[in-house]
Amino acid sequence: MAYDKLLTRNLGKPNSATLDAYQASGGYQGLRRVFKEFTPEKFVEEVKASGLRGRGGAGFPAGVKWGFLPKGLEVPRYLCVNADESEPGTFKDRLLIEQDPHLVLEGIIASAWAIGCHTAFFYIRGEFHKGARIFQKAIEEAYAKGLLGRNILGSGFDLDLIVYRGAGAYICGEETALLESLEGKRGLPRIKPPFPAVVGLYGCPTIINNVETLANVTLIAERGAAWFAAIGRPKNTGPKLFCVSGHVARPGVYEAPLGIPMKELIEMAGGMMRPDRPLKAVVPGGSSMKILPAAKCDVLMDFDSLAAAGTSLGSAGMFVMDSGTCMVDALWNVCRFYAHESCGQCTPCREGTGWFVKILKRLERGDGVPDDVELLDNVASRVEGNTICPFGEAVAWPVQSYVKEFRDEFQEHVTRRGCPLAAAAAR
Amino acid sequence: MPDPTPPLPPAGPDEVALLIDDRPVVVRKGTTVLRAAEAAGLLIPHYCYHPGLSIAGNCRMCLIEIDKVPKLQIGCATAATQGMVVRTATPRVKTAREGIMEFLLINHPLDCPICDQAGECRLQQYEAAYGAGTSRFTDEKVHWPKRYDIGRSVVFDAERCIKCTRCIRFCDEISKSRELALFQRGDHAIIGTFPGKPLDNPYSGNTVDVCPVGALTWKPFRFKARVWFLRDVPSACAGCARGCNVNLGTYRNRVHRMTPRANLEVNRYWMCDAGRQSYAALTEQPRFERPLARPATDASEPIPWDEAVERAAALLREAVAAGADGVAAIVSARLSLEDLHVTQRALQAIGIGRVAVAPHEEGQDDHLLLRRDKTPNARGAALVGLGAPNAGRVKEILEDVSSGRVRGLLVVGEDPIGDGLIPASDLRRLPALVAIDWWKSPTVEAAGVALPACGYGEWEGTLVNFEGRAQRCRAALKPQGETEPVWRILAALARPFGFGAEYASASAVFDEAAAGIPALAGMSYRSLGTGGAKLKGA
Ligand SMILES: Cc1cc2nc3c(=O)[nH]c(=O)nc-3n(C[C@H](O)[C@H](O)[C@H](O)COP(=O)(O)O)c2cc1C
Ligand code: SF4
Ligand code: SF4
Ligand code: FES
Repeated sequence: MAYDKLLTRNLGKPNSATLDAYQASGGYQGLRRVFKEFTPEKFVEEVKASGLRGRGGAGFPAGVKWGFLPKGLEVPRYLCVNADESEPGTFKDRLLIEQDPHLVLEGIIASAWAIGCHTAFFYIRGEFHKGARIFQKAIEEAYAKGLLGRNILGSGFDLDLIVYRGAGAYICGEETALLESLEGKRGLPRIKPPFPAVVGLYGCPTIINNVETLANVTLIAERGAAWFAAIGRPKNTGPKLFCVSGHVARPGVYEAPLGIPMKELIEMAGGMMRPDRPLKAVVPGGSSMKILPAAKCDVLMDFDSLAAAGTSLGSAGMFVMDSGTCMVDALWNVCRFYAHESCGQCTPCREGTGWFVKILKRLERGDGVPDDVELLDNVASRVEGNTICPFGEAVAWPVQSYVKEFRDEFQEHVTRRGCPLAAAAAR
Repeated sequence: MPDPTPPLPPAGPDEVALLIDDRPVVVRKGTTVLRAAEAAGLLIPHYCYHPGLSIAGNCRMCLIEIDKVPKLQIGCATAATQGMVVRTATPRVKTAREGIMEFLLINHPLDCPICDQAGECRLQQYEAAYGAGTSRFTDEKVHWPKRYDIGRSVVFDAERCIKCTRCIRFCDEISKSRELALFQRGDHAIIGTFPGKPLDNPYSGNTVDVCPVGALTWKPFRFKARVWFLRDVPSACAGCARGCNVNLGTYRNRVHRMTPRANLEVNRYWMCDAGRQSYAALTEQPRFERPLARPATDASEPIPWDEAVERAAALLREAVAAGADGVAAIVSARLSLEDLHVTQRALQAIGIGRVAVAPHEEGQDDHLLLRRDKTPNARGAALVGLGAPNAGRVKEILEDVSSGRVRGLLVVGEDPIGDGLIPASDLRRLPALVAIDWWKSPTVEAAGVALPACGYGEWEGTLVNFEGRAQRCRAALKPQGETEPVWRILAALARPFGFGAEYASASAVFDEAAAGIPALAGMSYRSLGTGGAKLKGA
């Protein structure tokens, strides 16, 4: 099926990050349409009707989340854009921020208007120096042209947008840690409830949305909910950016409607990198999501299909692993990341992440004992569900799924006193 | 099968009724499950929760199961709701707790034999109650400094720390000094201070109390006594007019530490560092165990009690006989209500009409507990009719001593020489100087007759704090040597002047005072209990 790119339509065009180029290709028409044809409340309904689900990881319907804001409170409401993108294997927001910032900005303005927010924050990952610069420039252009500030496009709506750079902690992508960080504190996730929609930034009702989610709001503003809902599959609507990495020939960001078969995405990325090494496994949604062995990879890439397959679309950071990949080594790598990034606040995650690393290191080095495999799984089960924030699951799920799907390989590391693949490579 | 769950009791409009392990409980709306369980007599184990601090929810020890809620929830942060069915001991909860215990101990040094907290450590208690008893951890633990000098009076053992953040929250929320923070992440997270800003605030000792493990220890108490040998005697601190409720940790007739005892109406859960160390004076100040007399020669000599009382009475009688204007008394508001009551009556019997209660002020009232008034019983002095502390009156008396107009002086629990109010030579010249005190102060050394009193911790009595709360101090120690409570000494001293009252105990003195002072009407040691009681009309 022919598919016209929507989110990446401007990518590769000259000066794609400038306001002029964006407007020349029809940019900010959607915002104008929304101001003219909708009330904020109606636009919230429109976003609900589009079926747009959050692109940050959890896939929560955006319009529904906006609807959670308490009514009639005389306090400010905030919109925080989550541009912290730090999930390993995920690099889609960065592309939009650097190459088409106004697509995101237009969605931010429309969304802020819809939820009655007059100060919005763009929380960007510390390492995104270039993105922060480009986005700041886009904001300045927008102020100069009356797209931000007072009385935007004559609508009477005021909005200030502030770029806030994080310090490079993965956990600050978790929405409540993000709020703490924005408030100038250490990025420690908060206990929920209360949810940010009720008690968020500076104690005020706050909506946190992912960059790509808000870029999709621009599309809905341009062409409406019905058009948007027709893309993809029921309850899994709209276009999606997939980050394909690992053992494919052309790793990169690929746009496709939600629900594209995984195998097709791998083909879009040029197929497997080495013809002699077949597919072994895929992690479909960033390092926190459960791994699918090759036999389970005939799935559609959308929220519900992947949930049915026992994993999750997550951030759509898809890593493809070929037969040369050692699963113990891969999991060790993943766990090193989580051990390093655990905020250290709550007991199971703080202690469990480091323990995983120690066990996996032993297994990979040949110092494993038979109980280790069971131990990994059991420790993960004591982390999962018992932590303050979903980081606990983000580390427990990979551990549990790698062990479950590749138990023999883990066991072999014990019986053969080390990594069989590494041993073979050394020969 | 009939429904085995007991019915819910009725709840008022501001209340909710719920079931915790099949026990019906009614609590105020907004109460957490942990506190509701407490109300039902059930302990939900917890580390990071502290009733005086904000909720952190980080230790995860209080995980419980709630019917119809898929995940386990933390009892410390979950509000009880109408009809909620909570279970605190299901296999799932037990497994989760066992997991938390294992996690908390994998990087813990397990050095209980050399840890001051042993015996009152939450890790020990909960491992015994909820742990698996063994660990599956075989790798190298994370290592940290074990004797980290984190502040003036506190030592930090980073390996024992469970990162519950109670100490941080204390400094943020209560002392508001904000010295502590969590640094680093993951299993390398560590509590620490900022460069150049050690843990040093007037309340730093409370971080040691709130620390559920042996990570923070109080320097003066380190390695002094095993806590299971200590007997905690409930008392009130005499360091200032607040009268924080305390426990005197006593072993072999010695106080080894003073810790705050919760009283929501006085000190909540806290006390200041100065108060906490106030017991040290007991061992640091020189005592005198027998009455002293300084006849013709310059050095004081011990003499028997009978003789000392006789001599003191003779000195005072002579002075009084020379004219009522020529005798005076300076009395301390650090004495108990019982002491002050008998002092007041004794002075009348002896015929000393000129009395001043000495004030002791320092600094300012602060935002938390510390009072500018360093006397613990100024209200008591006023109550018994001695008057409020008054610097002017003390000064007048001492000026008259120096000028020779006052020839006889009775000093009870005060040290005007040591306090720099009068030169020692002026007092030494005085024909009749009788001093009563618990330590061998310069004034005691200058006295014609000095009578040794019990020190704090040795006497039993009542203090009335600045808010008008009468609070009992219990005797934790046997009096040293031949020392006696002040009320008994004063009664003996006044007896030759016709003072007839005899008291069997401090409690009897209190009863007599309560019978005569309307603000104390109806009070007794029994009614004061361990939390004290407000004066009538206070
Ligand atoms: C450990 C952790 C890290 C996360 N990192 C990100 C991130 O980098 N970017 C992001 O958009 N969402 C991240 N999330 C999800 C956010 O908490 C939040 O759900 C999301 O920003 C909501 O936006 P959406 O509804 O538009 O998807 C993370 C969540 C967790 C638990
Ligand atoms: S789960 Fe991990 S990252 Fe989340 S709050 Fe707990 S320690 Fe921090
Ligand atoms: S030092 Fe004690 S109170 Fe502070 S975080 Fe560690 S265990 Fe908790
Ligand atoms: S007591 Fe509830 S999480 Fe620590």
